[in-house]
Amino acid sequence: MFFLQQCLIGLTNGALVALVALGYTMVYGIIGLINFAHGDLIMLGACLALTLVGALGIAAGGGAATWAGVAALVLLCGLFCGGLNVAVDRIVYKPLRNAPKLAPLVSAIGVSFIFMNAGLFWLGPADRSFPDLVPSTNLLAHDGLQFTLKDLLVVLVVVPLMVGLSLLVRTTRLGKAMRAVSQDPVAAALVGVDVDRVIAATFFIGGFLGGAASVIYGLYINTIGFQMGFQNGLYAFTAAVLGGIGSIPGAVLGGLVIGLVRALSSAYVGERWTGAIVFAILIVILVFRPEGLLGRRTREKV
Amino acid sequence: MAILEVRDLSAGYGPIRALDGVSIDVGEGETVAIIGANGAGKTTLLMAIVGVVPARSGSVAFQGRPITGLPTHVVSRMGIGHAPEGRRIFPRLSVRENLELGGFTQTDRQALKRDIDEACGMFPVLGERMAQMGGTLSGGEQQMLALARALVGRPKLLLLDEPSLGLAPLIVERIFDVIGSLAKRGISVVLVEQNARAALRLADRGYVLETGRVTLTGPGAELAHDRRVREAYLGEG
Ligand SMILES: Nc1ncnc2c1ncn2[C@@H]1O[C@H](COP(=O)(O)OP(=O)(O)OP(=O)(O)O)[C@@H](O)[C@H]1O
Ligand SMILES: [Mg+2]
Repeated sequence: MFFLQQCLIGLTNGALVALVALGYTMVYGIIGLINFAHGDLIMLGACLALTLVGALGIAAGGGAATWAGVAALVLLCGLFCGGLNVAVDRIVYKPLRNAPKLAPLVSAIGVSFIFMNAGLFWLGPADRSFPDLVPSTNLLAHDGLQFTLKDLLVVLVVVPLMVGLSLLVRTTRLGKAMRAVSQDPVAAALVGVDVDRVIAATFFIGGFLGGAASVIYGLYINTIGFQMGFQNGLYAFTAAVLGGIGSIPGAVLGGLVIGLVRALSSAYVGERWTGAIVFAILIVILVFRPEGLLGRRTREKV
Repeated sequence: MAILEVRDLSAGYGPIRALDGVSIDVGEGETVAIIGANGAGKTTLLMAIVGVVPARSGSVAFQGRPITGLPTHVVSRMGIGHAPEGRRIFPRLSVRENLELGGFTQTDRQALKRDIDEACGMFPVLGERMAQMGGTLSGGEQQMLALARALVGRPKLLLLDEPSLGLAPLIVERIFDVIGSLAKRGISVVLVEQNARAALRLADRGYVLETGRVTLTGPGAELAHDRRVREAYLGEG
């Protein structure tokens, strides 16, 4: 039963990691950039969420009103992070599109620091507690096993977003254009695809998912701080690499695996070993499958 | 009136001058061949027309409107199709999706379906491979897909970059048949070819490109009989 409980915790946490990992993997898939600023973008989303809780007067225990408030938070923070991500692409990465790969990468690290400073300004240096709008009421009629309202919240936000993303990428015109651009941007432009707009859309979607993740993070973990972007970004990036960077299902699988490993190693080995274990597993997997769990073995780059 | 007018076009890569004041014209419904040795600048010319390679000087006009400096997708949407060198089909998209992307700007689903069916009518093998990933097609099939993808976009002008490269004679024949039929459908064609004999037979007019300059031009049949062309490009001498 204890084991099952840890798995549940791991999967819920993993779903959150996966949501962030998608932002890394989508941007990498479309322009080959590891967007180091993604974790800090999510930190800024959490800042906005905290501000909005106060501004909109969202209170706990309000039933429908609370849930509507949470939905508004997810939407607004999603739009905010999506928009910010697009703006950064326009201003910073787009002029560097034809520059050597290292230039946008270093710029992304720069953006990460700028975001972190903005977060420091916004939140102050100390960690802030995030209102416990969704209580940890157990939904299972079982004492040994807990699946709380908070866990349900994660599932309710993450699953529809992932299903929506998958449908968008597989079936819509934009999705087809996104896949085409990721495979050959020149050929895509030759058939009339506006490559810059498709890239902007990808940044927006990745940012939107990150913004949604930032709200859930606040509600689930209940503590936010200006440095939260680094560690969370690192785990999510690891998840994306583990799953095969550039692969959307890979990011989801990688996120779930990392969540599980973190939960199980915290439970059975000890909290302070978690980081070491996660990265040891990453290294082992990459030694045997350098392309990640669901990544492509060969890169047919023209 | 010429559908395409290229005037004194220069372009290059860093210190390399790949095009040096090239002027060519393509008439409405005309098929024009561009022949030249490796590295002469043929691919650069096509890429500069559609704005993938930026022009350094000179101008390009399509249907009388200047298109120099316009983004590639805008040029494409005006009606210039391009089956580029190396085919560049989307390897991890299905044949159907590749063709659908050819008609990316076509928002009428029924019309798109008709255009795809029509393209598959020209290359029946594609119809049998609809669900297969582009990258798993044979070289010849990929070339047919590249051509079909460009045709689905209903171009007024089609740029073809070595469509016969590396293909078996039977497939080359099939592809040249289709290219030869384009004029009847009102599509103007710029055909870049190493296979100069076949290209000049098909073309109304031809241009010979040498190290980024046009050195010879004239009707296809006339060029095919030119002594210099025969020695340099038809392997006679
Ligand atoms: N991306 C590039 N970067 C640098 N130089 C290039 C690039 N592409 C082409 N060149 C150079 O520009 C010149 C013209 O090349 P281009 O590809 O246009 O020739 P081509 O006539 O198409 O040759 P081929 O018959 O071999 O395809 C060559 O000297 C080539 O080396
Ligand atoms: Mg060439």
